[in-house]
Amino acid sequence: MKRLLVLAVALLALGLLLAGCGGEEKKAEQVLKIGTMSPLTGPYAADGNDIRQGAEIAVEVFTEAGGMPGFSKIEVFSEDTACDPKQAVAAANKLINEKVTAVVGAYCSSSTIPASETLAEENIIMLTPASTNPKVTERGLPYMFRTCGRDDHQAPAAVKFMKDVEGVKTIFIVDDKTTYSQGLAEGVAAAAAAAGIQVLEHDHVNQGDKDYSAVLTKVKAANPDLFYISLQNSATGALMVIQAKRMGIDAILMGQDAVYHPKLMEIAKADAEGMYCTFGAIDKDAPKFKEFLSKYQAKTGNEPGAYSAYAFDSATAYLMAAKAAGTTDPAKVREEMLKLDFTGASKQIKYEENGDSGSNYTVYKVQDGKFVPYWNSLTGEKY
Amino acid sequence: MDFDFFFQQLINGITLGGVYALIALGYTMVYGIIQLINFAHGEFFAAGGYMGVILISYLASQGLHPYACLAISLVLSMAYCALLAMAVEQLAYKPLRQASRLAALLSALGMSIFLQNGLMLTQGVYDRAYPTEITSGGFEIGAVSVSYMQIFIVALTAALLVGLNILVFRTRIGRAMRATAQDKVMSALVGINSNRIIAITFAVGAGLAAAAGIMVGLYYGSVNYTMGFVPGIKAFAAAVLGGIGNITGALVGGLIIGMVEIFAAGYISGEYKDVFAFIILIGVLYFKPTGIMGENVDDTRV
Repeated sequence: MKRLLVLAVALLALGLLLAGCGGEEKKAEQVLKIGTMSPLTGPYAADGNDIRQGAEIAVEVFTEAGGMPGFSKIEVFSEDTACDPKQAVAAANKLINEKVTAVVGAYCSSSTIPASETLAEENIIMLTPASTNPKVTERGLPYMFRTCGRDDHQAPAAVKFMKDVEGVKTIFIVDDKTTYSQGLAEGVAAAAAAAGIQVLEHDHVNQGDKDYSAVLTKVKAANPDLFYISLQNSATGALMVIQAKRMGIDAILMGQDAVYHPKLMEIAKADAEGMYCTFGAIDKDAPKFKEFLSKYQAKTGNEPGAYSAYAFDSATAYLMAAKAAGTTDPAKVREEMLKLDFTGASKQIKYEENGDSGSNYTVYKVQDGKFVPYWNSLTGEKY
Repeated sequence: MDFDFFFQQLINGITLGGVYALIALGYTMVYGIIQLINFAHGEFFAAGGYMGVILISYLASQGLHPYACLAISLVLSMAYCALLAMAVEQLAYKPLRQASRLAALLSALGMSIFLQNGLMLTQGVYDRAYPTEITSGGFEIGAVSVSYMQIFIVALTAALLVGLNILVFRTRIGRAMRATAQDKVMSALVGINSNRIIAITFAVGAGLAAAAGIMVGLYYGSVNYTMGFVPGIKAFAAAVLGGIGNITGALVGGLIIGMVEIFAAGYISGEYKDVFAFIILIGVLYFKPTGIMGENVDDTRV
């Protein structure tokens, strides 16, 4: 008797489920599907979740403003790349199967590059909010766009700051050997040499290390004017900053855009005071940014991360272009993408022929637990 | 590269080695008693680190003195991880005690993934910061700087090791552990409850890992749900290097792995430090497959 009852309940549940499906099918809605891919797990999950949320909020804002004509709703599909090239390609294939028309992502340049090749075969538009390696847009892929800056602009900007503003004569560079961090660190080394700054040493650590005492002892012994930290993670950046301060290193500390994240100060606290980071200039008084900020805080309860605004702008740019084109046909959307010129949450968005949108690196200084804009690389002046 | 540089790296190496040694003890004890490589052990370390940050933050917000916070959190986290380890043992290993060793090993790997994801889902993907007030401070001897945390880590490692030695060699439980390690069936015949002894062994090992987790959290400033994996592998290597199943071996192995890593990073390059740690491991195993302290297993094995 008991068994019968269980069976009956199970059948009933199954029936309801099927009925639910049937109802869904019948409506035959036109859904616009957008994908995001970023590391949602693993050491880069903080930045990865920022990207996913940024894109989701863009869709929310866009839908509230009237949505896409011809589509009853816009849906976001998020895939995890774990910053692993293989998993990024798998994520790209999953999104292709979902029939997304555009993808916002990925985070690590080493994931974005292979994933973009897969997406390009299906003519799917990809907009990266965070991959700064020059190669991303240098392969001639027609549907690859980049909303953030480029490392070959970031490295000279950082070096110009070191020389012109701080009068640095010697630097020590450490990276963690990712496509991104090592590429950038090499760019800094080259630019420094060209600018007459002596690179005392360029050392490497491993991703996921927690103990930097050995390399920091070297830094202390070398006694550079400036210690350049190129790690692909704000949390490990914070660890390095804490340990550097404890070791008694009094060199100027400077990080880059992956180290730039509110989480850095949350972990390093007072030890981060006075350190510099390069990141794209974001006008926090712009109305678009304020709108984005209030939505973001309402939805997530968090401060936006480093790349949230770029992800927001990437998704917004695509939706605007698709709306203007009146279709999701990639060739027509691309035409509209190139015509775009609007003030986003992060910066003025105007895509060039190769997909880049220009860099506007600014040096931020940590003051009272906040990143404060300190020096503008475009004008060469302090704020 | 001069004398100061060498001594600074020596201090760094001893600190890191102390942490590895504490984690390695758990591997070694569990292996010694049931010949199981408990791959979930690194997760006890991570769970201890998290429990520590939760407790210390809470107690500090109640206005307790930092050292009192630390002491209470340390004891409670060790107790928590001990219970967690006993639960894991009941759930994942005890039913497989008569099965092949491969089955238990796979169960351990599964448990490791399960616990890691559990930490991620309950604690979030972001790093959690330890309060830094407790950990700052130190002094200098010439150009060599020593932080209070480094001294604390080495002192606590030494104290726990002495305590463990007393437990294993001076108490009835320790004698029962050693007997069970030698022969489970025979010791059961003379009235030792081997299931209970195995559970205690798991608990003690996990408690030590939890202490290591808190120290790492304090020393480096933050914890992360993936933090158990790499130190877990290193500590496993340390246990094997020292002669798995041997307590003194775990200490020696941990110190060697820590030193090699630091000196490789200091004198060669940071990118090769793991390579050198494992080259040493392979070298030792090639020439002395039992590990450095692998002799006289019957005396010292838990």
